Amino acid sequence: MGSDSKVMVVDDEMIVVERLQEHLEKAGFTVEGFTESQAAMDRLAESSFQVVVTDLKMKGPDGLEILHFAKQAHPATQVIIITGYASMDASREAEYSGVFDFITKPFNLPAIASMVKKAAKKASRLESRSGS
Amino acid sequence: MQLLHVLRERLGRRQAESFEHLRERLARFRDLVEKNNQVLELIADAGEKLGGEYVYDRHYLETLARDLDLAARVVVDDLNIVTDNRYSELVERMNEIEAALTAVLEGRTFAPDAAPILKLADIGFEHVDVVGEKMARLGEIARRSCCRVPPAFAITVTAFRQLMARHGRSDVDLNALGDDELAELAHKVRAWSLPWGLSRAMRREASRLTSRGGCSWLAVRSSAVGEDGSASFAGQFKTLLGISSRDVPRAYCEIVASLFEPAVAGYWRGRAGVRGPGPMAVGCMCLVKARSSGVLYTVDPSRPEKPLMVVSATWGLGTTVVEGLGAVDRFVVSRTPPHEVVSRTIEEKTERCTVVDGSGHRRFTVSPEDQRRAAIDDAALAELAAVGLRIERFMRGAQDIEWVIDEDGQLFVVQTRPLKLEPVVRHESRRDLRTTVAEQTVLLRGRGEIACRGIAAGEVRIIRERADIENLPSEAVLVARTSSPRLAEAMGEAAAVITDVGTSTGHLAAVARELRLPSIVDVGNATEILTNGQIITVDAEENVVYRGRIEELLHYQLLQSSTFEESLEFRMLRKMLRRIAPLHLRDPRSPDFVAQKCSTYHDVIRFSHEKAVEQLVSGQWVRAGGESGPISRLRLPIPLDLVVVDLGGGLEWRGGGPPEVEEVCGPLRPMLDALVEDGVWATGPADMDLDGLMSSATRASPVSTVGAQPEQNLAIISSNYLHLALRLGYHFNIVDCFLSEVRNDNYLYFRFVGGVTEMARRTRRALLLKKILEHYDFVVEGTGDLVIGRNKKAAPESMHEKLRMVGRLIGFSRQLDVMLREDGLVDQCVERFLAGCTNPWGQEDRADGPDGRIYGQ
Repeated sequence: MGSDSKVMVVDDEMIVVERLQEHLEKAGFTVEGFTESQAAMDRLAESSFQVVVTDLKMKGPDGLEILHFAKQAHPATQVIIITGYASMDASREAEYSGVFDFITKPFNLPAIASMVKKAAKKASRLESRSGS
Repeated sequence: MQLLHVLRERLGRRQAESFEHLRERLARFRDLVEKNNQVLELIADAGEKLGGEYVYDRHYLETLARDLDLAARVVVDDLNIVTDNRYSELVERMNEIEAALTAVLEGRTFAPDAAPILKLADIGFEHVDVVGEKMARLGEIARRSCCRVPPAFAITVTAFRQLMARHGRSDVDLNALGDDELAELAHKVRAWSLPWGLSRAMRREASRLTSRGGCSWLAVRSSAVGEDGSASFAGQFKTLLGISSRDVPRAYCEIVASLFEPAVAGYWRGRAGVRGPGPMAVGCMCLVKARSSGVLYTVDPSRPEKPLMVVSATWGLGTTVVEGLGAVDRFVVSRTPPHEVVSRTIEEKTERCTVVDGSGHRRFTVSPEDQRRAAIDDAALAELAAVGLRIERFMRGAQDIEWVIDEDGQLFVVQTRPLKLEPVVRHESRRDLRTTVAEQTVLLRGRGEIACRGIAAGEVRIIRERADIENLPSEAVLVARTSSPRLAEAMGEAAAVITDVGTSTGHLAAVARELRLPSIVDVGNATEILTNGQIITVDAEENVVYRGRIEELLHYQLLQSSTFEESLEFRMLRKMLRRIAPLHLRDPRSPDFVAQKCSTYHDVIRFSHEKAVEQLVSGQWVRAGGESGPISRLRLPIPLDLVVVDLGGGLEWRGGGPPEVEEVCGPLRPMLDALVEDGVWATGPADMDLDGLMSSATRASPVSTVGAQPEQNLAIISSNYLHLALRLGYHFNIVDCFLSEVRNDNYLYFRFVGGVTEMARRTRRALLLKKILEHYDFVVEGTGDLVIGRNKKAAPESMHEKLRMVGRLIGFSRQLDVMLREDGLVDQCVERFLAGCTNPWGQEDRADGPDGRIYGQ
């Protein structure tokens, strides 16, 4: 179970944040939701999260910046990126190094919940290995 | 014979040119069928998104609208190429649908054409865009007999448009007007005259209300078509009480004017994402002579986690409660029957409101003994609580209900709307829930697919045959082997549905979502694990079924359900689907089956497909095309004249004479294999009695679309495609099929119409086909002697089996209408078919036939 794992959800669409937060909390995670990516970055600077689920395209810092920032602040953090319809541009793959996984919108809730569970597991494994 | 003859005759002439022409048209036809299926998939997919399992945003809605439009336009283009632009009018219909969807996406209201006045009995949820939220909800609860609702009618947005048009304000944009302009407009509207026909219709309907409803006065209230569910506009518009039927037009203008009041504008301007109210609809209702009235919250907003309701009550009309003026009694009542009163606060109510004449309501002093007495007694509180629970169930969420008790003690509901609860509270209750749920006995977990999210509890009823849907307890959990249309019939009153087989894009799932019924499909063996009479809780959020009724879970669901269904995106998709999914053009022989009547994408593609097939089967193409290599006549061991057009890979012709069954590939093959098997092509007795004979002799032109040219049978085939058009005697049968290894691409479409006998017998045959197709998991529709069955997404091996079944069915049913003298024979024949018999009357009867009747060829 993902109990006690902290998860951050970032998407500028309110509906996505609300529904994800609701579902992940029900699955036992502690969830903080943000519709403004700058506020999410500020929060990442002050606290660590096991998993960050972020939209790719947003006003202000985008999902890529969130990914890099989160990884830098707390290397064990696992980042899941929500993308739109289009498939990922292969030439940019390198930029996404360190990402845990991608999920495309529209997505179904059980799928993302099980992805977050796996990511949380990986994060806690990394945390215990580094002794933090 | 005749067909090939014609083809060969033309061979010498414009062969090459014509053949190219034919090829192109056939390619267009294939394209049409493909895009048709693509649109159907998009529709099913979008329906699935309403089930609550998916997270989507605005971008998805925009993409959906674009993809649908692109695909549907190709369908229309293809149809017009195939038919030499016979249906260019469809382009206009497409433009209208597109405009409607764009309006929804841009947050404008698009209301379909409706009568200016609709009676409450004719109103339901689906009318929300024409009668407004308030009246739509009221119509729905009245329709479902949840409670007593006073007689009423709605003055729709059509009336509003007529009024605005009459005064040259059709294009008024509220957002562009300043406060002064709005105030001036509001002032003018109050004095506006109505189109004469409209005011007469209002008065007529209003006097009907007062005479039949037995009330002296009416209540006239706004029912604005709110753009956006996140702003309720509650209490922003006027309600007028004590209006006489003669004064309804004046009251109507008064209420319309309140739409333009600067105070109202201040309300919507101040909210992010609220684009202002849409056009105004108005409700007109019998004013109940109120002994007492008030408001019921089906959940206590201050502690929503507790199973409690809150009732406020006062003497007379409820204006004091609703407006928060004056003293009111307050009761906390248990949500659990028998709804005990947990606490009560009785205030000193010195005044009551009552309507005395047409000039509105007045305040009176309450008699000293009533001042300290409760305005509602415990029995009425219990009745009110029970009504609240019923309404809640249909509305799928906690409600804020206005009620009235008349002088005879009868309880009426005059308004219901979703109760807004603080989201914070919802989040907290989740934790406690997990510990409760962990202690419960799990019957099923994680099996199958969720077709519609939600949580419900009830008594299990296993549905095996038609008789099982009779005498269902209210709120049964229906459990069935497959998602049959039979099951769909019973779903209106059910609490939840579970099936062993099925998909979340199927017909049943769509019905479940329409009813917002928690449903899990494709569970495997629910019919074995669950037993009749057992009480269970179905959690179609987490995909778990528990033994017993888990109140905590049900209550949690109640608090939660509003979040998602009231989201802007959900409501937008629901609205969009109204112009996408409903199918109005059902019967191709109806005079309404015309391009002009296509109002949804589903109508457009259905119409296009039907007309393209009609063109194809008319034989004109083939005659125009001329003879060439890919067109040939099959050599069959049965007397069936079948011309085959191979688009590629449909024949492995080894040369030397006409191709035979063994040289046919693709979906036609299993069908033919079954059809040519011994005894299937029934050459046996056509059990024709005198009536049948007379009828067939006098039927001159049996099927209008076909013409009286039997034995022109055509199959367009490829390695994975079959389009078969059969004219056998006097009936007309189409099979359209795509068969590949990719299960999701597979479909099988079966259409049957006509016959030689009178309508009653043809209808019996149609019923027989319907029953058999349903047995094989087809979704079947049709009226009279028309049967349309569709099966989709079957696995390849199951497709083969179904194609063989269809082959057998074509042979089996060929002369059946002649034989079906009485209704009782239908089930008998169905059983014979399902038992594997090759013909309806049985081998043993072949020698001399039943009853020594006359035999056909």
